[in-house]
Amino acid sequence: MFHFVDQILELDPGRHALGVKHVTPGDTFVRPTAGGEPALLSCIIGEALGQLGAWNVMAAKDFSMRPVAGVVGEVVITGEATVGDTVLLDTTIDSVTDDAVFYHAVASVDGTEVLRLENTLGPLLPMEQFNDPDELRERFERIHRPGAPTEAPQPDGDPAVPFDMSFDEILSLESGKETTAVRQVSGREAFLADHFPRKPVLPLSLLLESLLQLGQKLLVEDGGEGFVPTGARKVKMTRFVEPGSSLVAKIRVVERSAENALLKFRCEVDGGRVCVGEAVYSVAVGESS
Amino acid sequence: MKTDTIYPKVREIVADVLAFDEEEIQRDGSLVNDYSAESIDFLDLVYQLEREFKIKIPRGMIEQEARHGLSDEEFEENGRLTDKGLEQLRAFLSEVPEDRFTPRMQVALIPTLFTVETICKIVLREQERAEQAAST
Repeated sequence: MFHFVDQILELDPGRHALGVKHVTPGDTFVRPTAGGEPALLSCIIGEALGQLGAWNVMAAKDFSMRPVAGVVGEVVITGEATVGDTVLLDTTIDSVTDDAVFYHAVASVDGTEVLRLENTLGPLLPMEQFNDPDELRERFERIHRPGAPTEAPQPDGDPAVPFDMSFDEILSLESGKETTAVRQVSGREAFLADHFPRKPVLPLSLLLESLLQLGQKLLVEDGGEGFVPTGARKVKMTRFVEPGSSLVAKIRVVERSAENALLKFRCEVDGGRVCVGEAVYSVAVGESS
Repeated sequence: MKTDTIYPKVREIVADVLAFDEEEIQRDGSLVNDYSAESIDFLDLVYQLEREFKIKIPRGMIEQEARHGLSDEEFEENGRLTDKGLEQLRAFLSEVPEDRFTPRMQVALIPTLFTVETICKIVLREQERAEQAAST
């Protein structure tokens, strides 16, 4: 399942929406944390915010168009959502034109912000190319339940198998400077069934998560054990990454101090740019000594 | 050139949007052919320019203005530029080197002609338009 909005609590078409995402033991996109309970991957919280924005725009356009990932001006990661938490999603549409939606969004847990998206742009494309409009309309009817959040759904069946975020192979590594890695998109990845049924493509959220982790490895490898990803900037998906693609990612350190690091990444398929951006890291509080 | 004052900022934004170093960006470089601009980059670029210069750039504006005074039939034929259309476009995009225009080129390929200077001209025109609107 690659749907992350469990319930839409408020909807002002073309302008604003509130929704929730329950983090349950059945979630595929969780990772272990030092604190005990597994936490939802940060980029999946961003994906949930984007999906809430998408529901809003799709409903406003009567499911004739849908947004896809384009540009994220800034992702700010300030906390995490662990199993048992309910994430409140708050997405504000700044403007919608015929060909794009511009929005910003905040996710919080118990009133504390955990992740924010700024200056986000999603191109609008004909729905028919990606989804069956009726199927999405039905799903929308199921989750659009204005009012208070209802209980988290009980997980059905076995816990999901966690998604493997890593690249298949490191092609080169220059310690403390840059690394290049490759990942084959086989087409067998479970998330492709929902993203999207008529046009399976690698979600920007998962690509970004794997890039943030690759950058973290590069920093750790050169003595930066305390660095954790705190965000990303100017992230842009230029082209769809389809099954069969061999995705080559290069990430390099641009600035680094004792507390902060800025890395730039560029991903290519067949030599053409598919995604670029910057990854930001800070030394976690309490680990700087 | 009239666009000299805004060029440094435009170049910075173009470099940023297309993921190039500023020094690699040339004023007469083609956004599509030299810097591999894709459709999302044009959306991004227009958004960044609108924010930076506090202007509104209407969609399809360049093509509309390039047609100025010519009817659709005079400008294009089966999706390709007529001789008259080409002449008009060449005059309108005077900053684009002559050899990049080809007879009967496809109308859909007009954006491949756009250079960094073309973007400067668009910004300047919209700034002037906004000033005029404010003073009337």
